[in-house]
Amino acid sequence: MTTEEYDTEMDYSDSDCGDPGYEDYYNVHPWDGEGDNDIDNDQSRRDPEYAVYDCLRIEEVERLLNEDVESLSNSLHITPSLAKVLLHAHNWALQDIIAKYRTNASSLFINSKIKPLPPLDSLSGLKSQRSGLCSVCVAIQSAEKFSTLTCGHSFCKDCWCMHFEVQISQGISTGISCMAQDCNVLAPEDFVLSLLTKPNMRERYQQFAFCDYVKSHPQLRFCPGPNCQMIMRSKEQRAKRVMCSSCKTCDLIRNCNNFSFRCGIDYHAPTDCNTMKKWLTKCADDSETANYISAHTKDCPKCHICIEKNGGCNHMQCYNCKYDFCWMCLGDWKAHGSEYYVCSRYKENPNIAHESVLAQAREALKKYLHYYERWENHSKSLKLEEQTLEAIKMQINKKVMNYSGTWIDWQHLFAAASLLTRCRYTLQYTYPYAYYMEPGPRKELFEYQQAQLEAEIEDLSWKIEHAETTNRGDLENQMDIAEKRRVTLLKDFLEV
Amino acid sequence: MANIAALRIQREFKEVIRSEEVAKCAIKVELVNDSFTELKGEIAGPPDTPYEGGNFVLEIKVPETYPFNPPKVRFITKIWHPNISSVTGAICLDILKDQWAAAMTLRTVLLSLQALLSAAEPDDPQDAVVARQYKEHPEMFRQTAKHWTYVYAGGPAKMPDLDDKIRRLTDMGIEEHNARVALSSYNWDLERATEQLFS
Ligand SMILES: [Zn+2]
Ligand SMILES: [Zn+2]
Ligand SMILES: [Zn+2]
Ligand SMILES: [Zn+2]
Ligand SMILES: [Zn+2]
Ligand SMILES: [Zn+2]
Repeated sequence: MTTEEYDTEMDYSDSDCGDPGYEDYYNVHPWDGEGDNDIDNDQSRRDPEYAVYDCLRIEEVERLLNEDVESLSNSLHITPSLAKVLLHAHNWALQDIIAKYRTNASSLFINSKIKPLPPLDSLSGLKSQRSGLCSVCVAIQSAEKFSTLTCGHSFCKDCWCMHFEVQISQGISTGISCMAQDCNVLAPEDFVLSLLTKPNMRERYQQFAFCDYVKSHPQLRFCPGPNCQMIMRSKEQRAKRVMCSSCKTCDLIRNCNNFSFRCGIDYHAPTDCNTMKKWLTKCADDSETANYISAHTKDCPKCHICIEKNGGCNHMQCYNCKYDFCWMCLGDWKAHGSEYYVCSRYKENPNIAHESVLAQAREALKKYLHYYERWENHSKSLKLEEQTLEAIKMQINKKVMNYSGTWIDWQHLFAAASLLTRCRYTLQYTYPYAYYMEPGPRKELFEYQQAQLEAEIEDLSWKIEHAETTNRGDLENQMDIAEKRRVTLLKDFLEV
Repeated sequence: MANIAALRIQREFKEVIRSEEVAKCAIKVELVNDSFTELKGEIAGPPDTPYEGGNFVLEIKVPETYPFNPPKVRFITKIWHPNISSVTGAICLDILKDQWAAAMTLRTVLLSLQALLSAAEPDDPQDAVVARQYKEHPEMFRQTAKHWTYVYAGGPAKMPDLDDKIRRLTDMGIEEHNARVALSSYNWDLERATEQLFS
């Protein structure tokens, strides 16, 4: 599996010159120049985000699931339909099911809602079948019009069909149960399909059931990309970054290409899943207070002319007075020395314990806003950089048309833009992490590294936006530095 | 589909009318229109509960997909109960949601609602204020539920001291029902109810 995965990554690298516009940032290999080629085995040591995964199409997943279904149905001598009910109920833990079957088959079937809880209440079913009265539609029917599940509750086929249609139209498939009161026996797939007549209903049923199977499978996950049909498979127990091979090739929306296997939130290293959930809830709760920050315009701190942020870079230059300043704190950019980028750091007020409750609340809000502002800002920058990338593409197109170099000559700009996105993405997710960190030396170290990463990212962003005047070697050097800072931070703090 | 719904309701209507519960005046259904899409239900407050002696009217709406989907039921009569909204009469009961089965009938629904009045489920509340009182001040809850039964459902127990507190608020220009809700919500603490009403 590892080799396979590595091969795939190499394939992308090889195709660098083929389709430059769609090169994804995740496939940029800044180490390639270091002569470090013996990386096959220690990929995960080198890259803290490395994960083994497959990107599968629906048919491939169907085949995969069917192997389990067949294997279980053969070992327990049950229909594939019942095997599906068992696998779905037990999160596809094949060996578990077989073990449970050997210990106590009947309790396995009862717990999986294949058989009814004793005592069997088949009398009412028999009664209705004999009298020919279906208790759901209250019509008299001939005996062959009736159908029943293992519980013996008997209803006419038209009613079963209608029951299925109503359930399916509400999105229910694997969870459809018997129509009798207090009976929780599930209708297996073959039973449903034998009574369901409308082709579109059958199709929807099968689609919904497939969704349920994927969702109940611990190693499978639908790609969260919009309209993307791919399914990821990974055996990783921990939250890892995986990237969909399908939507990567068709669009540049990056955020949804990365997601962790654990929680379904967009990929969020170095922050862990629980912290991330807490943070997103907090952001939603405090959105009103934080709203005022999200404005796209600010006044130049020197000449007070209103300027709009148009690129992702936080290094702003006033078009009127040429003053260089920081978008986030409006401070002089030069003061944000390259060594220590103070802007990313929030200084806890040490006197907080002595102040009133109100002041504490104000302080708490201030602290939250400090982190939120940066979180929001980087998220906006990410979106703006997508536009920047589009602009770069157009620029290059123009250059190539005017015979000023070929696409390959300008390839490095895409690599740089991709890497910038990757770095900024990680940077964005360092803020929730920092917000929930206890004050202390570890937090200081984290914020020091965060500040360094931020400084390098801003530098890179600036160089990309002013690519025409930036030397290529300079740019590639900056890419290398930024990625190193990113990986260092993740190595030190990614505790997944 | 609609055909099955109408057939079923007609039949169930007869079933309820003939049932022994009707004979004991415990439950009742009436037609509201000719199309069988809306009915009026009635249940008697069960004995040995704060609802005893009261008569509770229900609105029953029959969806086109009945009986494959449950009927939509709510209390018309105002009632103080953890699983029933004191404002809208909306009911939190599993068989009216995902535990509904097509073989269930109006009679099952009415009897289940009556059972709900006997045994509330405060951990699955519809009305959080009532549920909290039910758990934290059970005696206060009983008194309040009894009082509401008297006022809105024709129950037998008149409670002069509670009426007295309500009068204190209506004298200040507060509408009677609003005064009752505020007092009930604040465990009949006149001061806190006043504070809430005038804040
Ligand atoms: Zn039938
Ligand atoms: Zn059954
Ligand atoms: Zn995708
Ligand atoms: Zn997560
Ligand atoms: Zn200026
Ligand atoms: Zn700053």
